[in-house]
Amino acid sequence: MSELVKVFPRYTQEAYPPIPTRATQFWRKNKLYQLWRFIVLNAKIMRIVVGGHS
Amino acid sequence: MGSTVLVLGAGISGHTAAMTLRRKLGRDHKVVVVSPNSNYQWVPSNIWVGVGRMRAEQVWFPLAPIYRRKGIEFHQAAATVIHPDGDGSSPRPFVEVEYTEEGRKGQSGRIDYDWLVNATGPKLNFAAIEGLGPEGFSESVCTYGHAAHAWQSLQACISRMEKGERQRFVIGMGHPMATCQGAGFEYALNVAFEIRNRGLQDLAEITWLTNEYEVGDFGMGGAFVRKGGYITSTKIFTESILAEYGIEWIKRAGVTKVEDGRIRYETLDGGLHAIDFDFAMLIPAFAGVGLKVLDASGADVTGEYLAPNGLMKVDADYAAKPYEDWSVDDWPSTYRSPMRPNVFAAGIAFAPPHSISKPFESPRGTKIYPTPPRTGMPSGVIGKVVALNIVESITSGAESLRHKASMGRMGAACIVSSGYGLVHGMAATMTVFPIVPDYATYPEWGRDIGYTVGEPGLAGHWLKHFMHYMFMYKARGLPFWSLIPE
Repeated sequence: MSELVKVFPRYTQEAYPPIPTRATQFWRKNKLYQLWRFIVLNAKIMRIVVGGHS
Repeated sequence: MGSTVLVLGAGISGHTAAMTLRRKLGRDHKVVVVSPNSNYQWVPSNIWVGVGRMRAEQVWFPLAPIYRRKGIEFHQAAATVIHPDGDGSSPRPFVEVEYTEEGRKGQSGRIDYDWLVNATGPKLNFAAIEGLGPEGFSESVCTYGHAAHAWQSLQACISRMEKGERQRFVIGMGHPMATCQGAGFEYALNVAFEIRNRGLQDLAEITWLTNEYEVGDFGMGGAFVRKGGYITSTKIFTESILAEYGIEWIKRAGVTKVEDGRIRYETLDGGLHAIDFDFAMLIPAFAGVGLKVLDASGADVTGEYLAPNGLMKVDADYAAKPYEDWSVDDWPSTYRSPMRPNVFAAGIAFAPPHSISKPFESPRGTKIYPTPPRTGMPSGVIGKVVALNIVESITSGAESLRHKASMGRMGAACIVSSGYGLVHGMAATMTVFPIVPDYATYPEWGRDIGYTVGEPGLAGHWLKHFMHYMFMYKARGLPFWSLIPE
């Protein structure tokens, strides 16, 4: 979305947070990498769910 | 003779409890569900109804056929009065109900029980703030009906922007102590995504209006995630996403009144402000559904069973103490009422001992901070452990509280959708363990940093989409449903 990112005026609170670089945006949308993250995130969630009650 | 387990409410917690009870208990025992709604709704997907990506019919299904198939007795009615000791005519506990289904509307009834699960969920307390809610001047996404209405209003704004008109959107918390920041935040991101998708972003001003001390608090005191070689607060993570989506934010704000096109709010420094809007979606405060409790003589003992907000007191430590003295041990683990061993409260219906976020008060005395979130995963897990303890108590003939699920010992996953589509979708996956920070066990960050994740990406959207279908499947009780975790 880099071409669409709104540029907030300097010295406003919205001007200070980190904004993703093109590389970050690429990896967020890369299907192979995201498939891997899908597996990792699912595993993390499952561990939380299973460990959450006895 | 078999026991009767009465479940009040058929939301995530009540439905989970009822289905688990039915699966585990023999047919000589009766499972009865009382819910004023004829449908089950998968609330997390209401966000997509609110931006037109799903039809309301995709997030609900009628309960009666499923309960008929499973052998669960269903009454479409609202519980009004609990009689834990029966009344003058019989010592058997029962609940008074008022039917809501067509043909019996307004009729009252009496349902006896041996075990009671109060999973009545929240009353959406729009009335606490003048002008708030779909009957006032703001929208909501708390039910599929509200979300469908919000989509209609959003479409009207989009049409005006397509004609070149500027529009201001305010999305956030509609009460100084409202919770469910995650849902509001998710809706703000989805609205921003839909506006960008249509190339209208230059005509839109979107503001996130929140009662959090810092954005990213989410009613659970914020969290810390490992990111880019740093341990980073969810404040930074959340601000980054808001800025990326072109959303401004106002924090430490408690809405005091909603007028036609104007929201009035107070900030923690005591300042009184107003913001104009063309579209506002504000989440109301939650309260108990208005249950009363009467003893055998008919005397009102509601105050002994329920907290002042109408939520049911359970095995939590409700002693008032300063924030610095709070502990995870204050939080309940079995959700049993201290008043009666056969009464439990699950999901949003249980009264939390205190907030998770630090409480703050303005110089005018207005408390401005989020109350604890208890929706989704925790509600399902709590419903299940309550059911398991009841099952064990019935089958063994001895009281069992072996199954426990404290929010100080369980984690949660929150998937914040921020765009739709199998290729262009996006969501921030957030997980925390435990939900209530435990500084005794994790002195540095309050949580297990290995389990705490904050990650935007397409995978999050797939997860959210997958969960929609998976949990709808589970709730329908289709083959192998019980293998799907809460």
